[in-house]
Amino acid sequence: MSDQEKIIEIGDGAAIPDPKDKGLISAWWIALIGTVSLLIILPLVKPDPYARVLSFVPDGILVTFKVTIASISLALVIGLLTGLGRLSKNRFINLIASLYVEVVRGVPLLVQLFYIYFALGRIVRVPDIVAAVIAMSFCYGAYMGEVFRAGIKSIDYGQTEASLSLGFNRRQTMAYVVLPQAWRTILPPVGNEFIALLKDTSLVSILAVADILRRGREYASESFNYFETYTMIALIYLLITLILSKLISNMEHRLSHYERR
Amino acid sequence: MNAADPIIQISHINKYFGSFKALDDVSLDVTLGEKVVVLGPSGSGKSTLLRAINRLETISSGSIIVDGHDLYGPDEDINRIRMELGMVFQSFNLFKHKTVLENLTLAPIKLKKMEKGRAEEMAYALLEKVGIRDRADHYPVQLSGGQQQRVAIARALAMEPKIMLFDEPTSALDPEMIGEVLEVMITLAHEGMTMVVVTHEMGFAREVADQVVFMDDGAIVEQASPDSFFDHPVHARTRLFLDQIL
Ligand SMILES: Nc1ncnc2c1ncn2[C@@H]1O[C@H](COP(=O)(O)OP(=O)(O)OP(=O)(O)O)[C@@H](O)[C@H]1O
Ligand SMILES: [Mg+2]
Repeated sequence: MSDQEKIIEIGDGAAIPDPKDKGLISAWWIALIGTVSLLIILPLVKPDPYARVLSFVPDGILVTFKVTIASISLALVIGLLTGLGRLSKNRFINLIASLYVEVVRGVPLLVQLFYIYFALGRIVRVPDIVAAVIAMSFCYGAYMGEVFRAGIKSIDYGQTEASLSLGFNRRQTMAYVVLPQAWRTILPPVGNEFIALLKDTSLVSILAVADILRRGREYASESFNYFETYTMIALIYLLITLILSKLISNMEHRLSHYERR
Repeated sequence: MNAADPIIQISHINKYFGSFKALDDVSLDVTLGEKVVVLGPSGSGKSTLLRAINRLETISSGSIIVDGHDLYGPDEDINRIRMELGMVFQSFNLFKHKTVLENLTLAPIKLKKMEKGRAEEMAYALLEKVGIRDRADHYPVQLSGGQQQRVAIARALAMEPKIMLFDEPTSALDPEMIGEVLEVMITLAHEGMTMVVVTHEMGFAREVADQVVFMDDGAIVEQASPDSFFDHPVHARTRLFLDQIL
């Protein structure tokens, strides 16, 4: 299925472990144990600066999470609308949705971020973090749109016909029959996008949003401990994405219950 | 609507797929309680005709009136009309993410606002009727083809339709499962359901049909009672078809 392959290519998030794949599981465990050990041992062995970095950065973790959760939520909504738009028989809606996807795909995320941030700044004065969320979700909404489109298309049209023949209208058919099944196909790439987005939020540190990376940069520029600071920052990101990828793979496994004989 | 009026009135319908004519001036009346079996070679337009009756396929010209409602009438709600028309597909099309019971209760609960307890009660009764009550909590993938098709029939019946449309309901089944599905359909026929059935099961046609309709190249070639259709076919194309399959 080429659509399927395509949507998986888009995300560059951490590989989501397959519960059945013992090789990946052990790679995951080794990475987790290594990360956690370093996060504990380094501050113990050399409290200055490792422990100090650790006490300086947590505010940023919260900001990173806020930006990620807000952006992914908004991106999911935009993505659903875009996906439906791309599948719409209405020429105009279809064109708008396709145009949006093309534009977003063709412009680097960092450039989009700057552009939306400053363009928005000319029109309304919104907090930096809000501008960051709008920019991130504008970009990721397009990727999500492709994920939704492929997910919806992957559902056999016979399901739609059965639903219509019972008397459901198109909207009800989408809500009760197609989307609940498409969700199963959509979840893995959405999981990938989620992790990719979390990592990409590090870009907002440039827009005066005090996320993990920005807090680290602030600390590093005061203390000149660049190497130590970025070591801790990399480990923190790694720990978060490792945990997330595990959660997502578990959720995926649970969602597939009706496919198991 | 007069009681004697046909419940389905198909008048001079044509259907084009691009420049290809899939239905060619087809007219057909079905009266209440009547069983019509549609026969014909592959590609002759049987499915297209059946699907036109609940507007899964839109026609290019002509008119279709179901239970007094013009399928293309400006004030008609197609979704309401479809509630009167149960449909059974060759590939079952059970909702894969729902259990057998939920497959039956979804539409009555959402569309008829039926209370859940009542919907389930009715669903169990229907499952009993199609002989599959013990599988109520299973998911479709856990059932055999014959079981899935019986559930699909029960799902359509759960909306209490006036008419049932069947598109080759046994064609995707292993031979040993065909009987169990036909049995359910025969019971339904004896209960007086109005049925339009596309099938290759000649035994079923002979036993159940009031009218046999033979199609070729998108047109109705012959239309007769099963006895005269099978024993004294008039048209050469009908004879050729019967020779090939009997
Ligand atoms: N969506 C479509 N687009 C183009 N052509 C179509 C479409 N659906 C059906 N056709 C064509 O219309 C003709 C009639 O198709 P239909 O499915 O009604 O035949 P049928 O009698 O049901 O055949 P079978 O016994 O194989 O199911 C066929 O030639 C088919 O190729
Ligand atoms: Mg057919």
